[in-house]
Amino acid sequence: MSRLPFAGIHILDFTWYAVGPVTTKYLADYGADVVRIESAARLDGLRLAPPWKDAQPGINNSQFFASFNTSKRGLALDMSKPRAREIFLKMLPWADVVTESFTPKTLRNWGLDFDSMRAIKPDLIMLSTCMQGQTGPHRDYPGFGNLMAALSGFYHVSGYSEAEPCPPYGAFTDFIAPRFAACALIAALDYRRRTGKGQYIDMAQYEAALHNLAPMLVDYFATGRVLGPVGNRSERYAPHGAYRCADEDGHERWIAIAVADDREWRALLEVMGNPPTDARFATMLGRFRDQTALDELVGAMASTRGADELTAALQAAGVSAYPVQNCMDLHRDENLEAFGFWQWLDHKEMGPSPYEGLEHRMSRTPGGLQSPAPTLGQHSDEVLGEILGMPAAEIAELKREKVIY
Amino acid sequence: MRSELLNGMRMLDLSDERGALCGKIFADMGAEVIKVEPPQGCATRKIPPFLDDEPGLDRSLYFLAYQAGKRSITLNLESADGRNLLKELVQQADFLVEAFPLGHLEALGLGYETLAALNPRLIHATITPFGDKGPGKDYRAADIVSWASGGAMFLMGQEGKPPVQMSVPQAWLHAGAEAAVASMIAHYPRQADGLGQHIVINAQACVAWTLMNEQAMPLLHGDYLRRSGVFTGAIGGRRKTVYQCKDGHVSFLIAGGAYFNSTNAVIAWMKEEGMAPAWLAEKGGLKTLTPSGFMAASADDLKELDDAEEAVQRFFLTKTKKELWQNILKRRLFGAPVANAADIADDPQLKSRDYFVTVDHAGLGRTFTLPGAFAKMTETPVGPQGAAPQLGQHNHEIYGGLLGLSKTEIVELRAAGVI
Repeated sequence: MSRLPFAGIHILDFTWYAVGPVTTKYLADYGADVVRIESAARLDGLRLAPPWKDAQPGINNSQFFASFNTSKRGLALDMSKPRAREIFLKMLPWADVVTESFTPKTLRNWGLDFDSMRAIKPDLIMLSTCMQGQTGPHRDYPGFGNLMAALSGFYHVSGYSEAEPCPPYGAFTDFIAPRFAACALIAALDYRRRTGKGQYIDMAQYEAALHNLAPMLVDYFATGRVLGPVGNRSERYAPHGAYRCADEDGHERWIAIAVADDREWRALLEVMGNPPTDARFATMLGRFRDQTALDELVGAMASTRGADELTAALQAAGVSAYPVQNCMDLHRDENLEAFGFWQWLDHKEMGPSPYEGLEHRMSRTPGGLQSPAPTLGQHSDEVLGEILGMPAAEIAELKREKVIY
Repeated sequence: MRSELLNGMRMLDLSDERGALCGKIFADMGAEVIKVEPPQGCATRKIPPFLDDEPGLDRSLYFLAYQAGKRSITLNLESADGRNLLKELVQQADFLVEAFPLGHLEALGLGYETLAALNPRLIHATITPFGDKGPGKDYRAADIVSWASGGAMFLMGQEGKPPVQMSVPQAWLHAGAEAAVASMIAHYPRQADGLGQHIVINAQACVAWTLMNEQAMPLLHGDYLRRSGVFTGAIGGRRKTVYQCKDGHVSFLIAGGAYFNSTNAVIAWMKEEGMAPAWLAEKGGLKTLTPSGFMAASADDLKELDDAEEAVQRFFLTKTKKELWQNILKRRLFGAPVANAADIADDPQLKSRDYFVTVDHAGLGRTFTLPGAFAKMTETPVGPQGAAPQLGQHNHEIYGGLLGLSKTEIVELRAAGVI
């Protein structure tokens, strides 16, 4: 099958930063025509964030932006200008979907709320995603996913103890919400095909992210228990944690190990050369009872081993283990390589650049990175010509007036 | 009332914790999700913690959270009769999700090719730790191992201490949600041409996707990031991202760029309350910070940022999480309380949106409150469709109603250990 699942679906995409762009990327990588509408006056913050090609800042040089915007076209419009809003409204009938991720008042201030757009395009599907939703006392809260990760509980359950919270890396909730948003959006497209009805989707990053802490919340409501951080402890596995292995080329190396039962524990000891150990560790109960001593024992056994070699030996013995990989290790990982995760695309200004590929693979309609991310306004002429039939002279005039770029 | 969004669609969920969220998302969207459990129950029934710390097949909080709104049947795939029943169910299904070791279903004669021959419409998602091609395709991975494999764990924790995972493990939730998206992507063309397909989900890649493109840094900037506790290395050296307050912690960052106005606003607030030290109150701002970012700075300049952090820390210690949050909202600071479950349950924003949903659990004779709609949809509201099922609760409904077996046949199957 050569036709991609969303071929023929048109999306006008105002989203920026991560949640919106990663959501529309799911559709773009599967064939939707996603036109990213960007404003040069108010740049997507990711264009200003590293990593950059050759470590050189530049609005068309950010891999952070590029990775989240594959397979899309770029149209640069200064939406603060009335003329730009007119152009957008002329393009609207072409669109099946409009997406945006501003704070709620932005589109209203442009006169572009869902109802006014629906008057022009009755079966429009619109997705708005912001921090806390389109309604409620905190709807205008601006923020990033790192703050949302604090607000939605992830910081509190991370780290070694309550006295020392240890945040997850980065804007963690930015990478939870897109999967929920993409499910809602695709299902809305299917619903529209069945019924002819569009709809409005109000996605609060907060409300999606809380699903990843659902057991903690169900517990609190049912019993009043407030979960705190437990370090690497588990109520299911012992040992369970990260153990330092021998350094390699001056870099620290660690291995994550989780032992589910006594058979796996015996297998682990066998891999470690059956050193003398305290007999009480032979049973799960014994191992649970003194996890500090257990961690010291496993740490001592792992300390002389190489993380890769020990992983292979433990896995061969049926024990769950893998190196705690740093970002460089991810580029040398044989499993990611076999999956084809890293892909090099030839970006208009950055040249060949490393992109993360898909996290799944399909047998019949495989998606993929159709093109590298657009530079700012890379497809302005093409998109306006194609969708509106706008003559080149008019485009040039609008560029002089800095309505388009 | 079942959501109209996917009403009429049926998913067989043969997975455990690795796919639980996939089926949960489908159930929330209105699909009929049937948990196909071995006679002793799905492994997720045994995941701690338990309601009131009392283990029991219906008492796992993980199970209560992620299997909510699904139906439960028991089916012994080790028996030939059980395998035949699964084949009959597959013919009535639109989706199937599973996370068995690779080759397990094929060995039972239930591989994708066999199932697709029975039902070409089937969308079959297989959730794996490392994909289906590499040297680690048969590796085992507990959640912490997947978290480590994808690069997230190395970045969490303090220097000099072990890397740490989150106390609510996250890797398999990401993989499960990815299975839901991929299944929906495959659903869209299937509803036009009637053809399903097989999907392989890679949990390691899902974890790598959470790293904000830090994973490209070694190739483009020549080095990889180390974990640094509550500090971020990104902006002007070692900047603090978590501060103590009177009754806990708050996330805040002194920085330029997007954080420039917020940094100045907190200094203004400190001045208002007479809590800004003289050197800070008299300055027109912090000289290394600009609206466009951080300027290259000398050691003295960086000391000024350290001193400012210390002053802000002293100020925050006089405030509660709630006071800080109110001021963050009022003054448009970039900050947020380090909220715990009690704070979230009490959040006026979530209350005003009627976020939490209470469902009846008939078996336990009580209700449970769950996270609600993951999105508000005007035509097709989504959200929890009911409580988690008891083991085999829907055997009669599914085997009788859907497959048309008689009561006697169901009793026979039970006696024979098939269900």
